[in-house]
Amino acid sequence: MTAPSVETSGLGKQYGQLWALQDCSLHVPPGRVTALLGPNGAGKTTLLRLLVGLAAPSAGSAQVLGRPPDGSEEFLADIGYLAQDVPLYRRLSAADHIGLGAHLNKRWDAEGARDRLSRLHVPTDRPVATLSGGQRAQVALGLALAKQPGLLLLDEPVAALDPLARREFLLALSEAVTDGGVSVILSSHLVHDLERVCDHVILMSASRVQLCADIDDVLASHRMLLGPRRSLDAVEPGLTVISATQTQRQTRLLVRTDGPVLDPLWEQAEVGLEDVILAYMGNESAGIVPVSAERTHRHLEVAP
Amino acid sequence: MNHLVWRLHRNQVYLAVAALAALTVILLITGITMADDYRTALANCAATQSCGDLGGVLFRGDGAIMDLVDFTLVVPLLFGLFWGAPLLAKEFEDGTHNLAWTQGVSRWRWIRANIGWSLLAAAVWGAALAALVSWWRYPENALNSRFDAFDVQGIVPVAYALFAVALGIAVGSVIRRVLPSLAVTLAIFVALRVAIGVYLRPHYMAPITKVFPLLGHDSGPSGAWMLSQGLLGPTGKSLGPGIDFSQFPAACQTAPPGGKGLLSQCLASHGFRQTFTYQPASRFWAFQGIEATIFVVLAAALVGFAVWWVLGRDA
Repeated sequence: MTAPSVETSGLGKQYGQLWALQDCSLHVPPGRVTALLGPNGAGKTTLLRLLVGLAAPSAGSAQVLGRPPDGSEEFLADIGYLAQDVPLYRRLSAADHIGLGAHLNKRWDAEGARDRLSRLHVPTDRPVATLSGGQRAQVALGLALAKQPGLLLLDEPVAALDPLARREFLLALSEAVTDGGVSVILSSHLVHDLERVCDHVILMSASRVQLCADIDDVLASHRMLLGPRRSLDAVEPGLTVISATQTQRQTRLLVRTDGPVLDPLWEQAEVGLEDVILAYMGNESAGIVPVSAERTHRHLEVAP
Repeated sequence: MNHLVWRLHRNQVYLAVAALAALTVILLITGITMADDYRTALANCAATQSCGDLGGVLFRGDGAIMDLVDFTLVVPLLFGLFWGAPLLAKEFEDGTHNLAWTQGVSRWRWIRANIGWSLLAAAVWGAALAALVSWWRYPENALNSRFDAFDVQGIVPVAYALFAVALGIAVGSVIRRVLPSLAVTLAIFVALRVAIGVYLRPHYMAPITKVFPLLGHDSGPSGAWMLSQGLLGPTGKSLGPGIDFSQFPAACQTAPPGGKGLLSQCLASHGFRQTFTYQPASRFWAFQGIEATIFVVLAAALVGFAVWWVLGRDA
């Protein structure tokens, strides 16, 4: 598949007076496993619902796997979607769901779905209402994968799970990705779970996209700088300050940069994904700046 | 898609089959007995030329079974409450529409199958029920007015059933929760059925008003739907609707207490007559057709609205 997984331009969604998603322009290359991160209410669910065609945009447009998400059967055939709260028909068993899927989809890997669930010891003959949350999530993932989609969109699939079930879910997901070569977008407000699974990140905050890039690039282009206290105006050009902490003696910055940091007064440290995410979340005004695009740094309000 | 609809609603279908089967058995047994009684009684009274009051006498002891048949009046409402209202509302309430709408089937096909099968089921059950009751009431219809049981026989039960299910679907698609949808469907259905039955139905065609002698015409033209009754004085002046004794001749006012029969005889001898305003028995099927059309048109409008509402909106 050569078309990008997701390409949006100026995508927006308004509910009454409120914009749940604003000015969202994204490019996710094919084959990525993308973490869609952001605090609750940031617009993650809205973005996913627009991408699968469950909601219609108020502004802008989207292409998913090279098609507009218009709800047509050609479009739906290549999309796997797992909605928030894992909706399933409560009285039906997992086997019933797998049987239904065969009637509702042209391409359907019932055998694979049954195998996956039996390997995980999920009972397939009981009503899903009697299963645990982790087992229900596995059933729903199995159904989404049985479609053999080109792109799988998962909305907070692990949010309600305990740590063990969460790990098992993500393990099952990574296996499926390795086996099938499916692209994935996975939303969550938990960072560290996803770091192992994902290679791409979209960061949202206050209904806007803050960052959309490969995780390797994100880590390579961000640095933690520690040095004697100084004015942020004195930071060398080429660095974009994402967050700053000032104490009496020290200034501690998280910056984005394309090249090396030249100022010898800074002590430099590598950053983890979580550091970057939290820095962006704490700074909603940072706005989307494609990595490597913007050169001028910003003045930020500094905590005393 | 058909498989999904069947799998989700087959228990309701089984229940409906069982209920209809039970009712069929009861009505077949009692219906055959009643038809026999009727033919026997008719043959007997024809031999003695005393058939006049057969309608008032026959089947007096069958109150419970009569009530059961009258109760079929609410069956279309039950379809609306338990088939129509939850059909879409349950999906929205549980969020399962998000699952169904991201399979390989378009929303249009999904809603077409859901609504199509529900309406078909309503029509089939409505028709079965109407046919059964119409057959069962054959002696009653012959003896008394068919208009007495206008709502449970003929073709209108089919129209009510279609309307009830369409109403439930439309309400459920807007409210998106099962219990409030049930309540609103119930309220609208009852209000509309009563309003149309009481205020509109008597005027589908202009009623006939005719003058009859006071004696020998207690219940007006045979099989007619009686709307009102009045008294005409000797000069042809209308008295009533309430009975004002002061307008009666003195002879009748002082008549010995002996009930209505004696008073009527007295008034008749002084030239009083009565009027009946009614819909004749021959209009039964025309009225059925008009009422059925009204409810089928309403049902079609509601279905169109529900489809438009669901397809034109976010999930």
